[in-house]
Amino acid sequence: MKKKQPVVEDTGEVIDSHEEEDEAPLKAKRSKHEQAGEGGGGGGEEVVYHPVKLSRSDLYRPPSAEELNQLKEAESLFHCSLLKMQMEELLKEVALSERRKQQIDSFVQTVTKLLQAVPDSPEVEVSDLSWLSGAVKVPFLLVPKTTKGKFHMAPPASVDLIGSYPLGTCTKPRVTVDLAVTIPADVLHPKDVVNQRYPRKRALYLAGLAQHLTSSSDIGAMSYSCLHGNRLRPVLLLTPPGKESSSFTVRVHACPPPGFFKPNRFHPQRNNVRTEWYTGLQTSMSEGSEPPTPHYNSSVLGDLLPRAHLQFLSAVSSQCSAFADGVALLKVWLRQRELDQGTGCFNGFLASMLLTYLLTTHRISNTMTAYQLLRNSLNFLATTDLTVNGISLARDPDCTAPALAEFHNAFQVVFVDPSGHLNMCADMTACTYKQLQHEASVSMQFWDDPTVDGFHSLLMTPKPMIRTSDHVFQLCELVKLQSSCKKLNLLSELMDHSGNYVHTALPYILSLLQRGLGERIHLLTHSLSPDPEWSVESEAPKHKAQPPLSFGLLLKPELATSVLERGPPADSPKAAEFRELWGSRSELRRFQDGGITEAVLWDGQSMCQKQLVPKQIITHLLQLHADVPESCVRYVGVKVDDVIITGSEVPSTGEEESLRVVQSYDDLSRKLWRLEGLPLSITAVQGAHPALRYTQVFPPLPLKLDYSFFVREKISRSLVPKEDKPCPAYVTPITVICHMEGSGKWPHDRLAIRHIRAAFHIRLGELLKKHHNYPCKPCPTHLDVWKDGLLFRVQVAYHREPQVLRESVNAEGLLVVRDNEEAQALEMATNYKPLLTSTLHGLQQQHQCFGAVCRLAKRWLGAQLFSEDITEDTADLLVASLFLQPAPFTPPGSPQVGFLRFLRLLASFDWRNTPLIVNLNNQLTGKQSVDARNSHIVSRSWSLFLAHTADMSSSHVTDRLCVCVSVQMLHRVVMLAAESLKVLENQLMDGSQMQDVRVVMRPPLDAYDVLIHLNPKQVPLLSQAVDPPAVTFSRGVMDGNVAHSGGAMPVVDYNPVSLYLAELRDSFGDLALFFCDPYGGTVIAVLWNPKAFVPLPFKTSQVSARRVEVTGEEAKTVPNVEAILEDFRNMGKGLVKSVEARTEKCT
Amino acid sequence: MAPSKKKHACSQPCVIPGGFTELPLQFSSDSSAQHRLYVKEHRVRAERSSHRPLDRTLFVLNVPPYCSEGVVKELFSQFGSVQSVELRDHPGSSQESGPKLSKVFKPAAKQGFKVGYVVFQDSSSLKEAKSHPHDEPLVVCTEQRPVRTGVQKWIQQYQQSFIQPDTLQQMVDSFMVEYDKRKEEVAERQRKEAEQQEEEDEGWVKVTRGPKGTKARPHSEAANKRALQKEIKKKKRKELMNFYTWQHRNTQKEHIAELRKKFEEDKQRIALLRAQRKFRPY
Repeated sequence: MKKKQPVVEDTGEVIDSHEEEDEAPLKAKRSKHEQAGEGGGGGGEEVVYHPVKLSRSDLYRPPSAEELNQLKEAESLFHCSLLKMQMEELLKEVALSERRKQQIDSFVQTVTKLLQAVPDSPEVEVSDLSWLSGAVKVPFLLVPKTTKGKFHMAPPASVDLIGSYPLGTCTKPRVTVDLAVTIPADVLHPKDVVNQRYPRKRALYLAGLAQHLTSSSDIGAMSYSCLHGNRLRPVLLLTPPGKESSSFTVRVHACPPPGFFKPNRFHPQRNNVRTEWYTGLQTSMSEGSEPPTPHYNSSVLGDLLPRAHLQFLSAVSSQCSAFADGVALLKVWLRQRELDQGTGCFNGFLASMLLTYLLTTHRISNTMTAYQLLRNSLNFLATTDLTVNGISLARDPDCTAPALAEFHNAFQVVFVDPSGHLNMCADMTACTYKQLQHEASVSMQFWDDPTVDGFHSLLMTPKPMIRTSDHVFQLCELVKLQSSCKKLNLLSELMDHSGNYVHTALPYILSLLQRGLGERIHLLTHSLSPDPEWSVESEAPKHKAQPPLSFGLLLKPELATSVLERGPPADSPKAAEFRELWGSRSELRRFQDGGITEAVLWDGQSMCQKQLVPKQIITHLLQLHADVPESCVRYVGVKVDDVIITGSEVPSTGEEESLRVVQSYDDLSRKLWRLEGLPLSITAVQGAHPALRYTQVFPPLPLKLDYSFFVREKISRSLVPKEDKPCPAYVTPITVICHMEGSGKWPHDRLAIRHIRAAFHIRLGELLKKHHNYPCKPCPTHLDVWKDGLLFRVQVAYHREPQVLRESVNAEGLLVVRDNEEAQALEMATNYKPLLTSTLHGLQQQHQCFGAVCRLAKRWLGAQLFSEDITEDTADLLVASLFLQPAPFTPPGSPQVGFLRFLRLLASFDWRNTPLIVNLNNQLTGKQSVDARNSHIVSRSWSLFLAHTADMSSSHVTDRLCVCVSVQMLHRVVMLAAESLKVLENQLMDGSQMQDVRVVMRPPLDAYDVLIHLNPKQVPLLSQAVDPPAVTFSRGVMDGNVAHSGGAMPVVDYNPVSLYLAELRDSFGDLALFFCDPYGGTVIAVLWNPKAFVPLPFKTSQVSARRVEVTGEEAKTVPNVEAILEDFRNMGKGLVKSVEARTEKCT
Repeated sequence: MAPSKKKHACSQPCVIPGGFTELPLQFSSDSSAQHRLYVKEHRVRAERSSHRPLDRTLFVLNVPPYCSEGVVKELFSQFGSVQSVELRDHPGSSQESGPKLSKVFKPAAKQGFKVGYVVFQDSSSLKEAKSHPHDEPLVVCTEQRPVRTGVQKWIQQYQQSFIQPDTLQQMVDSFMVEYDKRKEEVAERQRKEAEQQEEEDEGWVKVTRGPKGTKARPHSEAANKRALQKEIKKKKRKELMNFYTWQHRNTQKEHIAELRKKFEEDKQRIALLRAQRKFRPY
């Protein structure tokens, strides 16, 4: 139906013809850069792909050595040269432009000049802040309040560029340029290391600089932040004035003069913060027995070394030409995975250090390309566990440097810098590193898979936590973690983290959850708290002021929902440990296998309740061990499921109901097989309905009918709806295809086959009635069987019928085979749909939540009125693609994350340029998929092109398996999906917003011209509506047990709404589009087709619903809108409540 | 609505260019809006069909979906007694071919606006209809003749969709009997033709190569194609592909050309994507 719609992009062929002459001179000098410029030079939006036509002489001209090399490289290194070129393009996007560099250089110069001119100030006590004017605050949390020492301002000893900018590895976006300001030696004292004296002086010095800079007009905005969320290392952020203010930031660090402190003072075993000073209590501890302060030590040491690191990095990187590009790619990779910023991140600095490590250990060579650098470093990350085997860049560390084992004792992740004293991954938690490793190994897995668009998955797809993790929960009131620190007895660790209770408690909470969730999860991740940023006039924010901590769980679907946690036997020594972990929830239980063990039983009957078992575990453990009340845990694992929940006693998202349908179907299919007395035997019974693959949005429920509600048709023992009663409950026919044996007895004529099929329906019905007492109703096209309160629609199929439909004898008496729509439709119904159903049923067996994701997706499509354009099969296939090609994610482990990814797929997939290939059963080889992709590029006539490979052997694959949606419709789908995704993700990740996931299910109706409001009484599926109505109608259904057989035939497939829609589309399909939510929608939205409203000349074939306007001798026709609106009312008498014309357009 | 039309004098037919007369039609007497039927005497050069006699058939355009043949018949009886009414999706000659099918075996008809061929008993009715005054609309649904729409209609439809298995079986049986008869006739005719052929050959028998089956070679497109493929395959098998130096050189050349082509294609694709700004990672 949609095929007729004109496609906008069809202009390709037209332009093609005269483009050929233009290309000839270009081809003469085939240099790479030239054509690169050519494509972009067009500038217009509509750039069209022209299939390449190289002339013969061009293709077969003798190659130069350079060209040969290039081609060979592309062939051997990359799957195709495409990936290489894509990476090059990406690098161009992130690289800093020359203009930007000049801006940065000049701004840095101004800042340097200003900083050199900082005036001296008289020496005061550190705690005396009177020399600061009130406009500037000290960027430091002064807890405890006092410390010893003297401080005065003095011009910096030097101002140098450090970090990524001088190294050339700085990338867009968020360009930050690091500027190290050396505090003159006379301001500091060698003993300042102790008791936060140095960090406080550093903060004071920054405040002094800020005070000096406030008066300058050359500086735009100015604010404080701290390096990687470490409150001991505040930095001053400067932006240039004017309109470039957002283009880059200069980050001013204050550093001690190089070598001012002895590095061995910062050994991870040493103490530099005294308990007595920190707690303010008299203790009798000697210096030797004080607890070590590794984190404090490493943060001070970190200030001492940036210059040395820069020298080291530039020395190594100068030998490797692709170093900067490699780092840039790695940074993009990290950023897409949200690993590159925040406390304990794996930032660009660590990325460069990793590459230098690989270079110095000769795991990569200097001549490798950026692509190879990325690949090797990911491979290294995937295979090396830095939480167990740390690595060190120090070649020959001096004897005072700590050993790796000592680092491992103090830190979770170990990566030692060239000096051998500093662990660069000090703040990183083991979970973050595990996440990094997981990401790297996932990337390595799909990298080589030719059926996956590697470039996109690797570098272009953002992976925010809500879309990556199956379940997400948040700790909201972080101040509660203070009491957890107390409960977990973490005073010395708190001192080490200088009072940052969030980072102190985090590793302990993570390990607690890891223990509790154990086998249920693959991976536990947590969000990296972002660096706080505050203006120079305000006080440093408190630790609790950061956004809530989010935790992500990657579930093992088969174990995550188990309600039983079976522990060790009661008499084993481990039992005590188990009891300690689970507290009062642990009970002794006796099992069927005779074992008596400790066990914890969680609540949950239906699948959707079982989904919440991890939540129960988490809240229980946090409450028990960390004093975090349940109210602080915001669990967002199953919020979206709300919209498909049915069932009054036990809420359920349809898994159980679907299972009941499938079981009933299995029983029917067995009974069909066993039937005796058929002239031909049955060769196959196949389901062909979404309910039989667990993807029906609201699976059919077994119904018990109240006969008094209906008119009874005596002869055929059937029920008929009464006119004055509300519409009876809808009985969904569940299609079952029954293939009959091929035989010479089948006639070779389409009409005769149709009649024979009817005879089979009658016979099957008779037999089923006789042997099993199922009420049956045979029709020419199908046989309805009422069984277990469900209705099965059995269709007999003959495998040669499509072939018969295709054959015809032409005028010369030659038997020709021509494809036609009728044959295709039949093949679709009898071969392809059952195949799809069984394949997707198999997918459901592999991935538990496949069905639930399909249901959510289709509920959304229905609610947004797209059901007509994106059919159920298409939606199921789209969802299947999420499970079959999850890269760069893992297959969805919860309905919610699957649904989010479905929206994201709709919103961001490049429908225009690439086909989405769903590789069912892995039948498609790499070569084939590449071919399919290319052929799509050439034909380019579909906008939503979905190829899948259920039946690759047949020659009509592309025709039959493509789904196309008109361009306009697709635009709307993409737009609404993007909007829904945004709203939903914001809502899920931000507890402070209004929590109503149904917002995304309410379609915007303002775009439509006419709204037809329906009478809820006559809408049988009313209870499935997005916002269930307050009033309910009796629909002839009783509670109670459903009889398995017998009874009267119910009212089948009678839905006034769909009958009305069909009638409307038949009558006015050329003039308007009709949209309706099939799941209990009470509004039909009508959109006039603007093309139909252009006055047309009078023609006998196009006067339907139009009236003639005569101007002079000319007769033009226009749609007779008033009469049409009247027709809407008349044709839906009893169903239509009101017709609301909302636009004056076209009337 | 177009006021120009109101200017037509009362009780006069409205004739538009093309020779059609406009007849207003409304659903019920209290409807506010009207559909327009366009009528004209049926006049087609090629057609000489018995059930659409030229002088008595009225060609009606734009018949609304709720007007069944019965309704149209009654509507037009006011101009004279109607012999038959035929409603169709598109104007055109009637072609009824193949065996007669009972209604249940036909695919469901489209329920949209139709064109109608109304055959009157008397040719004077045509004139009557064409001179029907413009301001007296035809009314579809009246007290005497209620037309069911909406829920009433759907329930009726549902009720009518029941077929007794016995009746259905009878339909099938009678069709199959007829089908068999037709098939026999065809076979008979073929046999006769063959006999005739034999007679013409005067007793000579054609001797051909191969087993007997090939004599009755399937006369179909697919078979022709298959035979052609076989020939090509045979030819190919005889060729030596890697025998001369120039052949080897050629394959190498082909390989490079292939790589070049791919490279060129990729470059174009990149240019296309770049133009659409598809390389922004964030």
